[in-house]
Amino acid sequence: MGYGRFLLKRGVQGVGVVWGVVTVVFVLRFITPGSPIDTVAPLDASQETRRRIAEELGLNEPLYIQYLDYLWELLHGNMGYSYISSIPASVQVFQKLPATLELAIAASVVAIVLSIPLGVISATRRHEPADYAATTFSLLGISTPNFWLGIMLVLVFAVQFDVFPTSGRAHGFMQALAAITGPAPFFEVAREWLASLFLPAITLGTYFTALITRLVRSGMLDELSEGYVRATRAKGLPETLVRYKHVLRNTLVPVVTVLGLQLGTLIGGAVITEAVFAWPGLGSEIIRAINARDWPILQGSLIVIGTGFVLLNIAVDALYAYLDPRVMAE
Amino acid sequence: MSEKDTSRRRFLQAAGSATAAVALAGCSGNGGEATPTDEPTDSDGGETATTEPQETTERPEPETRDGYLQRANLHCHEQAPWVFLNRQYSVYGQSSDIEWQPRTDERVSAYAIEPANDDGDDVVMTQSQMDSGLDPQDHRETPTDNIVLQAYEGLLERDREGTIVETLATDYQRLDETTVQFTVRDNVPFHSGDSLTPEDVAYSINRIVDPDVGIESPQVDQLIGVEGAEVESEEDRTVNVNLAGLNPIVFASFATYCDVMNRSWVEENDDAYINQNMDGTGPFELSNYEQGVEVAFDRFEDYWDEPAAISTFTINSASESSTRVNRLLSGETDIAVNVPPQEVSRVEENDGTSISAVPSTRILFNAMRYDVEPFDSPEFRQAVNYAIDLDSIVENVLQTFGSPTGQPTLEGFFGHNGDIDPYPQDLERAEQLVEESGYAGAEIELVTPIGRYLRDVEIAQAVAAQVDELSNVSASARQVEFSTLVSQVTTGNIEDKPPWYLLGWGNATFDAIQTIQPLLASDGALTSYKNDELDSLLDEAQSLPSESN
Repeated sequence: MGYGRFLLKRGVQGVGVVWGVVTVVFVLRFITPGSPIDTVAPLDASQETRRRIAEELGLNEPLYIQYLDYLWELLHGNMGYSYISSIPASVQVFQKLPATLELAIAASVVAIVLSIPLGVISATRRHEPADYAATTFSLLGISTPNFWLGIMLVLVFAVQFDVFPTSGRAHGFMQALAAITGPAPFFEVAREWLASLFLPAITLGTYFTALITRLVRSGMLDELSEGYVRATRAKGLPETLVRYKHVLRNTLVPVVTVLGLQLGTLIGGAVITEAVFAWPGLGSEIIRAINARDWPILQGSLIVIGTGFVLLNIAVDALYAYLDPRVMAE
Repeated sequence: MSEKDTSRRRFLQAAGSATAAVALAGCSGNGGEATPTDEPTDSDGGETATTEPQETTERPEPETRDGYLQRANLHCHEQAPWVFLNRQYSVYGQSSDIEWQPRTDERVSAYAIEPANDDGDDVVMTQSQMDSGLDPQDHRETPTDNIVLQAYEGLLERDREGTIVETLATDYQRLDETTVQFTVRDNVPFHSGDSLTPEDVAYSINRIVDPDVGIESPQVDQLIGVEGAEVESEEDRTVNVNLAGLNPIVFASFATYCDVMNRSWVEENDDAYINQNMDGTGPFELSNYEQGVEVAFDRFEDYWDEPAAISTFTINSASESSTRVNRLLSGETDIAVNVPPQEVSRVEENDGTSISAVPSTRILFNAMRYDVEPFDSPEFRQAVNYAIDLDSIVENVLQTFGSPTGQPTLEGFFGHNGDIDPYPQDLERAEQLVEESGYAGAEIELVTPIGRYLRDVEIAQAVAAQVDELSNVSASARQVEFSTLVSQVTTGNIEDKPPWYLLGWGNATFDAIQTIQPLLASDGALTSYKNDELDSLLDEAQSLPSESN
């Protein structure tokens, strides 16, 4: 199978998955308790008011008509209008997406920056105090729930020591970038942006830091016992070069794969972190939409996350096939 | 039939359109008996409540609307269609940088905030959720009110204690049974620079009550019985509002809803724009709107009254109560809305922050369906009330941020009966009433929403546990999602409701009818009860004006 054909196949599969996501998300509305009318109408609204609202929302149509209408509108980039704010769902969802991506990327950066050195130290100093410290950290990191860690970090670093803001998102990446040329003092804007991002990023990134630390440690230990390591050492290569040029490079291949896939999980996992830090991203929007039964927003958010996940998987598959053509034959 | 009767019936018909053709009579089981008590008093219906509701004594007919509503409350107390629980309190955390006192109607007016020092000039408030759009006529919930009411105003409003005061109207009067008139204030600028006209006022009223004018407003049921408005005289700046019949609470309704919008601005813009921008006459003008994140206002210097004391007012949100409190403690916000009891000590023990609490307009109750066993027996319903230790619930579950109730109408509201005390806990009496009802050994289940009202699950669990202590009744509590409960109670059919369920009800009009009519009248939108005597008391009350309110 050629590379182009492989990509086409993956692309078609991806479209099928996205269609599945759209369908499941659409059906969810009908199996979840609570009617959209209750979102729009007050509790004591008359039956006449309810009937008019149902008509306005198109809820009187047969299910398959509603479904086909929804697909048709979606294909034209229309996710409907928020039941609550009357703002187009696509506008509302894509307004919130950058904050979540920013948080997910920041958490990934935290994970990469901390986990790789920790994993390397842990593997190269096996059974030494540094190794025990690193493995203890990864055990704690994996076992600590996000919401608890977030609350504790806020209590200590924001409320007690007043080093970071307790919650919220100051400015955002684009505004911080714009401040380079804009009238606002760049360093102040950038500092406030990074300060508001710090605790949420640590909260969201801790689990992945712990996970990747373990991955790097075990991967490196495996590699260190390989024959080529003995050969490089026998050739007289300095130990630093052996570890970082040869062993670490090989160890990082699966780590990169996991990181790529975890970015999707991070976006999903951001829901809890966003709630704790009142971070105005897609996660907060999803919680709000669930509570309010604001289906256009919920459906739009889930479809965007689902599509992002599919695209990320296709990208990882493509990269894998490029690096190792044997994958295409499988 | 007299003209008065005709118009009264037309209004009641409109108010009762909430349910599809429910028969007015139809008392079943033991639920229908009128059980007047002894000891009539000299007040209009304000008789002393009795613990012997089965004794029958003649009572004098009330003469005023207040009297009929007080009698209706007495009926509810005696017949106990609810387990009467508590009045909910609004609890705020506030910084010492500002001077501010909360209002009973749960609305926060930044106009009432004064700086206590230099830091108090720019005020930030954090509530649990943001707005559902900035259209002041396209919502009906407090978080959005708190945002839009900084920039928009109505004809009338209420002061902090709940008394009706003029805002954009300088005068209001009832011309006849089906017409009321407002005189519109002169020299009032919108934030856009346009001047307020009577036409803007008439258009704003019609935009709410007439679906053909702009939007399907959820406030239409709050202005029930209002058919439309028209400018009577441009010169005199008068607007006439047409009613379907005598509407005793029409001014109370206008003091709660009906924000005035700029007609030309509304007509020039689409819904999405109106939901993200503002053009009101209020003391603050919108300076920044980030949907779902933050709404910022600047003081409107051309305000028709004295400009506000603070320069800026910013509202943001945090759904987690601990996050709101953390923001307050670290000085990031000046007012934290809805501080739950478990967070109160953190706020009180911190330097520079304090707790402000005020009784709200919301009542919590357990409705008992009058048409199913064992709740079709008034004795059984009374027994459940006698089984509850309300003081203990208020003290231990709500940590004193609540007060016990014994009637549907809250203290301070029009129609409240001051002679009725909450049911005391009396287990012996409760067990005896259960025996009398013939339902000894009954097993009952209380359905409660999760997290909708302050400590709702904990209250329901306490109620169920206390009823379960009776030797001849078994009780338990079951939690459901609020939307599930809503889908059951809003169908218009009593049969779709759970037999026993916890609900809360906010009444922004400060009038008994707005609680009793939808929740307990035979044709109420959410009723769990049918009784001829109560219906006729409400009918009589609605045929009389209550301008003293």
